Amino acid sequence: MLEVRGVDARYGDAQALWGVDLEVAPAETVCIVGPNGAGKTTLVQTIAGLHRAAAGTITVDGVDIAALPGHRVCDHGVATVPEGRRVFGHMTVRDNLLLGAYRPKARAAHRETEAQVYDLFPRLKERARQHAGSLSGGEQQMLALGRALMALPRLLLLDEPSLGLAPVIVDEVFDAIAAVTATGVGVLLVEQDVERALSAASRGYLLIEGRIAAAGPTADLRDRADVRERVLGM
Amino acid sequence: MSVRKGLSILAGVALVLAVLAHFNTSLGIAPYLLVLATSVLFWVIQATSWNILSGYAGYFSFGQAAYVGVGAYSVAVLTGRHDVGYPVSILVGGLLGALLAAVTGAVAFRLGALRGEIFALLTLAVPFILAAFVRINRDIDGGLGTTLPLPDFPGWVGDFQHLIFLLMLLVATLAVGTALWVQGSRLGRGLNAIHDNEDAAEALGVPTFRYKMLAIVLSGALGGLGGALLAVRNGAVQPELVFTLTVPLFVIVMSVLGGRRHWAGPVVGAAFVTVLQDELAAQELDQWGNIILGAVLVLFVVAAPDGLFGRLRVRPWLTVGVFVPVLVGLLLSGQYTELDAILYAMVAAIVAALVVDRLRPAPGAVSSPAGHLEPSAAPTEGARPTEPPATRPAGAAPLADLPQPAPPPVPPVAQSPPGELVSVAGVTRDFGGVRALDDVSLSVSSGEIVGLVGPNGSGKTTLVNLLSGAMPPTRGTIAIGGRTTTGLAPHRVAHTGVARTYQIPKPFASMTVRDNVAMAVMFGRTGASLASAREAAVRHLATVRLEHLADALPDALNLHQRQLLEMARAIAAEPVVLLLDEALAGLNPAEIDDAVAVIRRIHAAGISIIIVEHLLRVLNQLATRIVVLDRGVLIADGEPATVLRDPAVVRAYLGRQRA
Amino acid sequence: MTAVQAALSGALIGGLYALMAAGLSVTWGALRVINLAHFGLILVGAYLTYQLTTAWGIDPVLTLLVSAPVLFVAGAALQWAYDRLNIVEFNSLLVSFGLLMITIELTTQVWTADFRHIDAGENPYGTSAVHLGSIALPISRLVALGFAVLLIGGGHLVLERTFAGRGLRAFAQDRTVAASFGIDHRRLGMVVGGLAGVSAAVAGMVFALGNTIAPAHAYEWFGTVFAVVILGGIGNLLGSLFAGLGVGAFSAVVAVLWDPSYEPFVLFLAIILALVLRPKGLFTRRAAA
Repeated sequence: MLEVRGVDARYGDAQALWGVDLEVAPAETVCIVGPNGAGKTTLVQTIAGLHRAAAGTITVDGVDIAALPGHRVCDHGVATVPEGRRVFGHMTVRDNLLLGAYRPKARAAHRETEAQVYDLFPRLKERARQHAGSLSGGEQQMLALGRALMALPRLLLLDEPSLGLAPVIVDEVFDAIAAVTATGVGVLLVEQDVERALSAASRGYLLIEGRIAAAGPTADLRDRADVRERVLGM
Repeated sequence: MSVRKGLSILAGVALVLAVLAHFNTSLGIAPYLLVLATSVLFWVIQATSWNILSGYAGYFSFGQAAYVGVGAYSVAVLTGRHDVGYPVSILVGGLLGALLAAVTGAVAFRLGALRGEIFALLTLAVPFILAAFVRINRDIDGGLGTTLPLPDFPGWVGDFQHLIFLLMLLVATLAVGTALWVQGSRLGRGLNAIHDNEDAAEALGVPTFRYKMLAIVLSGALGGLGGALLAVRNGAVQPELVFTLTVPLFVIVMSVLGGRRHWAGPVVGAAFVTVLQDELAAQELDQWGNIILGAVLVLFVVAAPDGLFGRLRVRPWLTVGVFVPVLVGLLLSGQYTELDAILYAMVAAIVAALVVDRLRPAPGAVSSPAGHLEPSAAPTEGARPTEPPATRPAGAAPLADLPQPAPPPVPPVAQSPPGELVSVAGVTRDFGGVRALDDVSLSVSSGEIVGLVGPNGSGKTTLVNLLSGAMPPTRGTIAIGGRTTTGLAPHRVAHTGVARTYQIPKPFASMTVRDNVAMAVMFGRTGASLASAREAAVRHLATVRLEHLADALPDALNLHQRQLLEMARAIAAEPVVLLLDEALAGLNPAEIDDAVAVIRRIHAAGISIIIVEHLLRVLNQLATRIVVLDRGVLIADGEPATVLRDPAVVRAYLGRQRA
Repeated sequence: MTAVQAALSGALIGGLYALMAAGLSVTWGALRVINLAHFGLILVGAYLTYQLTTAWGIDPVLTLLVSAPVLFVAGAALQWAYDRLNIVEFNSLLVSFGLLMITIELTTQVWTADFRHIDAGENPYGTSAVHLGSIALPISRLVALGFAVLLIGGGHLVLERTFAGRGLRAFAQDRTVAASFGIDHRRLGMVVGGLAGVSAAVAGMVFALGNTIAPAHAYEWFGTVFAVVILGGIGNLLGSLFAGLGVGAFSAVVAVLWDPSYEPFVLFLAIILALVLRPKGLFTRRAAA
């Protein structure tokens, strides 16, 4: 479904990604692990169209989206849960969710999707009228996830969903991710918590200094001692 | 051009103008030119006054009319209604202008939030309040404005027109002289740095609050004096005529047109705009005046925010060489009035300079190494150095392939007594409801390189910000070399011997690489003079191997070079402890090795280092000790090898396997 | 009693302030453009109402049929230009100051600097008043309040209840994330700029109903309207309505109880205090960080 081929990304003079190749199939959870500063967030933003790729192609179901402006990428079934959650703190929980269904196709189905999201995250329903800024970190992460689901994505990009959350809450978030994958959505998961990422995904990529350094089923990656050491930057 | 030389030339020009004006009838200079010149001088005063704060420091003000009004009303009330002598009332005008400025500044600059557009709106309100105040207190001007008596003056001066010209000339010379002096002084340098990046300036030791207060008070005093003379010239004062938005429009257009980073910008702008207005009035097109000025403002803000002067100044002889012959030619032809001739000559000179500038960009015009006090004003496209001298290609072995002389040793640093250098005791920092640091205690001894690591959002940068004084801790104390720094302004913390770099480099964009470093020397603990600061700067640039780019502007540097510049600037302050915030982020492996070598050199010179870095491989080699933060809590502190094997650390980095 | 009368009639003037502030507040809050040229649009709106009423004898309120579309296009075009040239915040203040000067001078050339007012014959709202006991409320001011409540209340509902409104609020808070959900800032910006133009048309019309018009008025609105924008909270529509009513009532009461000439003084001191104490506005919602 998602195919990334030979993607470079740069910030001015600094090149952040070098010839990245990866793919995600429907209903598959794929993780990207790597040390801080390896370019994981840049990769997510490049796929989401928020950062222009300097070279390479990014296709979703055969359509090249690499050159589209950021606000057009979601029309191709890509939704993002950004690093740090970035919910709209001054808006209610419900408004945050409805914002996710901004584009016409999602808007037409927003009632059903909203009900599904509430089924998945009952706590969001309880707090529907509360301002998103008043939610706890875990609830905000659920909201960010729910907001992305409202866009009816076929591919979900998750950037550091465990960041700054207590371990118990992270468990809940990862349960929710598993439930989302079960509905047939492809998930690309970027995570600095390597153990969790490897156990949540079926395949993984190791990103080191902007390049894919290793790839394969997570079971294999987990057994390789060098993966951990390289994530630690040793 | 040195300040002294500049001031002498200014005095000479003023003297020549005074003589020309005094003998105008014998020299055949039309009286209306004297009137026009008086107008030009008034606007030179106002535009220069505005530029000292708004141009140099970048704090845009819409409130210039407040100073004009206060000055004018001082004269109107004291002389017009209470028979106080003109000399006293004019001086009071200047004093009250300064006082008003001081009050405005004290309110605005105390609050960090009042920057940019909020400061501009605050200044917009001040003239309105004063106008309302005058309208309320009818006894100030008797309700319908005040008329002023003709001043007494000695007969040798000539007539009233001569008198007012001389007074305006005197104050204008004072204003331009002040602007010229400020520009060449520490104050001017500091204001320039505030303009480019206020936080970085404060962290380097620039006393930003004091400097902004000085600038606004100078601006208020000059504006008030000019306003007082306006009242004398007009012989009447009405609130509608002094507290008008035309004043800020004019001064802003003049300065934006002329250029805001150099004292001569507003002078050029004021001369051009005033002559243009006069010409329009002469053609009975004065209603088009403000339309043209409005269009000029829009055009220049969008297309040429640096202004004209930067371009004219690149080719001074061309400019003068076109202006003078055209002026003389038009005058001799006898078909043009003096006013037409002056305006056309100005336009011709500007067009010539702009056209030539576009055709043949002048190289290396921005940094003039000879003129050691010349600020690098108004960088223009044409003036920018095309490319820095060939830098080594990314990825090439940095040290091997370039036959370089051994870098000079880092200049010796005042050795701090051995023992505890940095002490962090029980420090907590909250942002709203989020606790970024929780009861962190840490001690760094002299000679250490401490690596500060932890996952994203663990509080590393917050700790650096607390150490550099950029923000105060919610609880706990921090001491540097035994001196408590909690609660000190960042520039005071800098003076206790702390220097820092930023994760995203924050160079002063309008200054050359050399001057960026010289700023740190000037405002560092020892406080060198301008001239010696530049020499010292080159030594520090050599330490980071950036001396070949000394004359380039920061924009021409790549990321690695900009980070080296950050380090050069930081060590130029001669710190005892250097805080490096992700100084290696975004570098390729060869550049990282290069940067590590620089850090080792800095350390070898006796500077202790606290470095935030994600690459544990690098820290493992470089650091003498590693401190780990996780969610704001210090979870490990010790030898690199031990810490990196600590299960708690591994868990913080890699996460926990689910049971 | 006089104080009550003053407060009521002051609050009614406040409706006009709120109308003037609403457009300015939204473009500042959502698009980060401080559009001083908005005052120019209000001025043009007032003159269009004057011109159409005087020349063709149209009911002043109906002149909106012409002035609202004209100013919608003007506002959208302005926003398009700001966006294309990437003029935000600080530069927008300078550029729009230049544009305001141009607008004021152009209106002066068309309608001269003299005071103009709609003749009583053509202005059914001009002189009459509604009497509540001993309190007289001029019709023109009731119209101002009516339009303010209608326009701002409507705008508020659009912001709160529609997808476009949510999109705009989201865009104001986090442009990047909003874009990733399909919000096209250029189109949204032009629509918002155009609607700000419509609010300027209404404000201009309402101003023309009860006041004489002169180009210099654009300056006089500055202080009060910015006070309303900042007190109401930048980008907060309901806030600007309440701030407008409050500012109107407060200054009128000060004028009656103290001295009419203190009115502007007290008001501007209030602005400065507001700027200093709460630069983000009194009615901004407190959000948990």
